Amino acid sequence: MDPETSHFETEMNRGFLHILVLAMLEKDMYGYSMVRTIRDLGYEVEENTLYPLLRRLEKNGWVKSKWDVSEDRPRKFYGITAAGRGLRTELLSIWKKQDQILKHILEEISHV
Amino acid sequence: MFEKLETYLEEISHFLSGRKEREEILSEIRSHILEKTEQEFGEATEASLDKVIAAYGPARRVAEKYLDGRPIIAPAFKRYLFRYTALLFAFHFVFTVAAVVFKKSFLMFPLVYVPSMGPFEALFYLPTAFLFDLGTVTLVLYLITQSKKHVKLPWPRFSVDIDEVKTSGRTIGRTIGLVAMTALTGTALYFYIRYQTIFFVNLDFAQHRPIFTPEAGQWYSLILIGLWALSAISLAFKLVMSSPWVDAVEKALSLVLLGLAFRQPFDTALAVHLPVHLPEGLVRWINISFTFTLLVICIFVAVDLIKALVRIGRRRLAK
Repeated sequence: MDPETSHFETEMNRGFLHILVLAMLEKDMYGYSMVRTIRDLGYEVEENTLYPLLRRLEKNGWVKSKWDVSEDRPRKFYGITAAGRGLRTELLSIWKKQDQILKHILEEISHV
Repeated sequence: MFEKLETYLEEISHFLSGRKEREEILSEIRSHILEKTEQEFGEATEASLDKVIAAYGPARRVAEKYLDGRPIIAPAFKRYLFRYTALLFAFHFVFTVAAVVFKKSFLMFPLVYVPSMGPFEALFYLPTAFLFDLGTVTLVLYLITQSKKHVKLPWPRFSVDIDEVKTSGRTIGRTIGLVAMTALTGTALYFYIRYQTIFFVNLDFAQHRPIFTPEAGQWYSLILIGLWALSAISLAFKLVMSSPWVDAVEKALSLVLLGLAFRQPFDTALAVHLPVHLPEGLVRWINISFTFTLLVICIFVAVDLIKALVRIGRRRLAK
């Protein structure tokens, strides 16, 4: 991928990752399992991007976290909050609208 | 304890200095790296950790992802940094020239203090003044940015364009100006060489009567010829190039020449004996008027100099 496309991909990922994370966290997950799940779905996410994103979401009250110290190594589990669900609904509706617009435009182009 | 992991976390910690959640962030990263190493390599060893750390990214880049704070200067104010610095420095520059010429200190509280100095000291003073101006403007813009308030800063224009539009009318005007100024300078030089002055009371050169005493006449004549010559040279340069430096150098040198005019006391300069004796008060007022007129000319030239310096600053910014 050329650097220009890569730059645009990073820009697009920023919004997409927010929706993706808020959608995934309906069930509590820890960071590495999120990375694995996303990767298994055929999508790459930089690990050093995911954690700061989770931190920002938590800071704004959309995600909550707790350390699980029951095993040898402590793990931090993340889950969505009620405010996070509200945000997810809004973001999904924006995303659907954008998707509809794009589909409509692409359909028009295909007829030209 | 894995040495490589701890060293890596220490590096990240260094870049996160001052963040209160630093320890929490480091714990998250440690947990993730260990988890990934075990999942992908079976067990955590220095060699396997090395690979996972390399994939996680350089410490500084990782830390920067957490530092999403406000910029030091908001993007909207970045252009102000250069323009305000150029303006402030232009004042500093003009006052420095004045301090060198008049041998006086100038104070414009709280931003400009220029002590009396020689030309050599001025060369050292000006770079320091520039850094002070840049620092002052940066500090003000930083405080405005951090205040998060909606501040609309003034954007002085001064009718200064980065690139002046070259029109045929302007070129013709400059050519005429150049011819006129060259003729004026040449004629004045001729008179000066012949009579050591260019100021006369009458036009009968067989029995010429100079306005000023020989010493003052020479002094004022050379200054005026210098100003006209500067103007001619500047016009000649402007015909072939459009650099704002031409204006800046011309105005700076003109200021120096005008400053030199103050060095010749005007009250003893007149050689003309009037048929009536002027009252002492009137003579004093004539002196004050002369000084005032010179000062007004100096201010106009200084304003032009500031405009030229601002234009230089803007041109650099545009580049």
